[in-house]
Amino acid sequence: MTTEFEHVIRIRGLVNRFGTQVVHDQLNLDVRRDEILGLVGGSGAGKSVLLQSMLGLHGPNEGTIEVLGQTIRHHEPGPHKQWGVLFQDGALLSGLTVQENVELPIALHSNIPVETRRELAVLKIFMVGLDLKAASKYPNELSGGMRKRASLARALALEPKVLFLDEPTAGLDPISATEFDQLISYLHANLDLTIVMITHDVDTLFGICDRVAVLVNKGVIVDTLEEIVKHPDPWIQEYFGDPRAVRARKAAIAKVTI
Amino acid sequence: MAEFLTEKRQNGLLQISLQNDWVFANLNGLQAALDAVDLGNVTHVELSCSGIKQFDLAGAWVLYEKSLDLEEIEIRTDFKGFQEAHFKFLQHIIDIAARKEYVPGFFDPKPNRWLVNGIRKLGSNTIDAVDSVGFIARSVLDGIKRPSRLVIGEIIRQIHATGTTAIPIVMVVCFLMGVVLAYQSARQLEQFGANIFMVDLVANSIFRELGVLLAAIMVAGRSGSAFAAALGTMKLTEEIDALRVLGLNPNEILIIPRVVGLMIALPLLTVFANIAGLIGGAFIGAIVLDINWFSFTERLATSIDVNDVLVGLSKAPVFAFLIAVTGTLRGMQVSGSAEELGRLTTVAVVQSIFLIIVADSIFTVVYSRIGF
Repeated sequence: MTTEFEHVIRIRGLVNRFGTQVVHDQLNLDVRRDEILGLVGGSGAGKSVLLQSMLGLHGPNEGTIEVLGQTIRHHEPGPHKQWGVLFQDGALLSGLTVQENVELPIALHSNIPVETRRELAVLKIFMVGLDLKAASKYPNELSGGMRKRASLARALALEPKVLFLDEPTAGLDPISATEFDQLISYLHANLDLTIVMITHDVDTLFGICDRVAVLVNKGVIVDTLEEIVKHPDPWIQEYFGDPRAVRARKAAIAKVTI
Repeated sequence: MAEFLTEKRQNGLLQISLQNDWVFANLNGLQAALDAVDLGNVTHVELSCSGIKQFDLAGAWVLYEKSLDLEEIEIRTDFKGFQEAHFKFLQHIIDIAARKEYVPGFFDPKPNRWLVNGIRKLGSNTIDAVDSVGFIARSVLDGIKRPSRLVIGEIIRQIHATGTTAIPIVMVVCFLMGVVLAYQSARQLEQFGANIFMVDLVANSIFRELGVLLAAIMVAGRSGSAFAAALGTMKLTEEIDALRVLGLNPNEILIIPRVVGLMIALPLLTVFANIAGLIGGAFIGAIVLDINWFSFTERLATSIDVNDVLVGLSKAPVFAFLIAVTGTLRGMQVSGSAEELGRLTTVAVVQSIFLIIVADSIFTVVYSRIGF
């Protein structure tokens, strides 16, 4: 656990094929310690498949993936005590309350007494900005934003070193989305977290991401935001030339200069 | 076991130097170490944190809780030598705890609904995926080798959901089947003045064939579809992926309870089905055919032996296995849309009933060959 990795995630020569359709071809990607990496790409560019490959939920055709120094294999447990995942719709277990959802990983992976476990779960629930009333509810009784927060609390339950977020702000109204961005960057600042997030939200991208990985031409182009907007690739130019992206970028620059 | 702290005493002052990793993984050890500190004659505690190698929220929380406990017995606590990152953690904890309204027992369920809620929650807790029938077989074997409490609780819930709640409908159906059999056979037997043999006919068909067959078909309709729909929905909402990532074996907590639970429930249901069928026959015998309850039971004793009952009961676990495996497997195959879910639920029911009938005919042939 004390071993230091320069790269929290290392992907080498990843190939994913579905029938004759090649999604990733010899894809290499390194995720650095303590960074927030945004993962963008057009529909069908393979963002979700890449995420699933990193989590061991999808078996790639070729290539190796290491997360925290551990090689990820399909259907084998990954470093699940050290990673947390926020699925797109939360993926909270619908038969359990929020508090039980957050407690579940703690109960499964430690022999901590019930009361301590519960207090730790409550701590995490407070940390993501939910209250006790929300904690005793079932997932289907919560709003989308609250579900995401609850799911984030579960992802943080085991004090993970890596956090995977699948479209954290999708389906949220702009106010909730901004709040969620702030929450993520707050947690990132306070916990030693490396964050990998798929996002379509340009505000999130410009607001909190350190680097951006763009999935184009079956591979990936990674760079800081300032550099990547200058990249000649047509899709990147189109994406970052979009009025919404331009506005978000201006807003981000304005924030920095103030 | 690593040392987490060292103590130094000076009159009323207790200096505790914290060391090693104050992280989640060591939580129990940390609490034990703090609890083991002797606080006799101590008025002031100084916690020196510069020796801590790794620190996380859980570690900070333990320290914070301890300082609260000490405050309560009027011992002053100071934190010394924090690295900036560590201090942020502790500050964070204190910020959060300032809003703390949680008291132990807040989440404890109401006592009168504890059982129902507990079982229900445990039930919906069991989620995940199967890739092949081979996986199921392996998981069942694994489960027998080292049964876990989670799985046993769920088996009990499945027995209740597939067995207990099916008793009324199965009994009604079998009672009516007994009525039908008695009527039909009586019409033929009357021609020979052999009314009493209606008892042999009803008892034999109910015990050897119809009791278990009807119970199995009802259960395939009720529980086979429920299995497919439940697992399919879980698949659609990514719940199964979530379990995988949490490091749970989906097969173990999802498939075993359903297969084992149904294999226990169906034989028990069959007993109820048999009883209801006989009552149906006896009922018609008494009111239509002039065979009173006494002569019915007397005739029953001579026309049936233990073997006939065992023939019926021996089929039940096999039928149950077919229903449970078909239902769960089809459920796990759901992907993409809710329509797929509906289609596969239908497939699960149709196929399990088909398999039951095929298995039943094989049983009948084999049993008659070996004279059982």
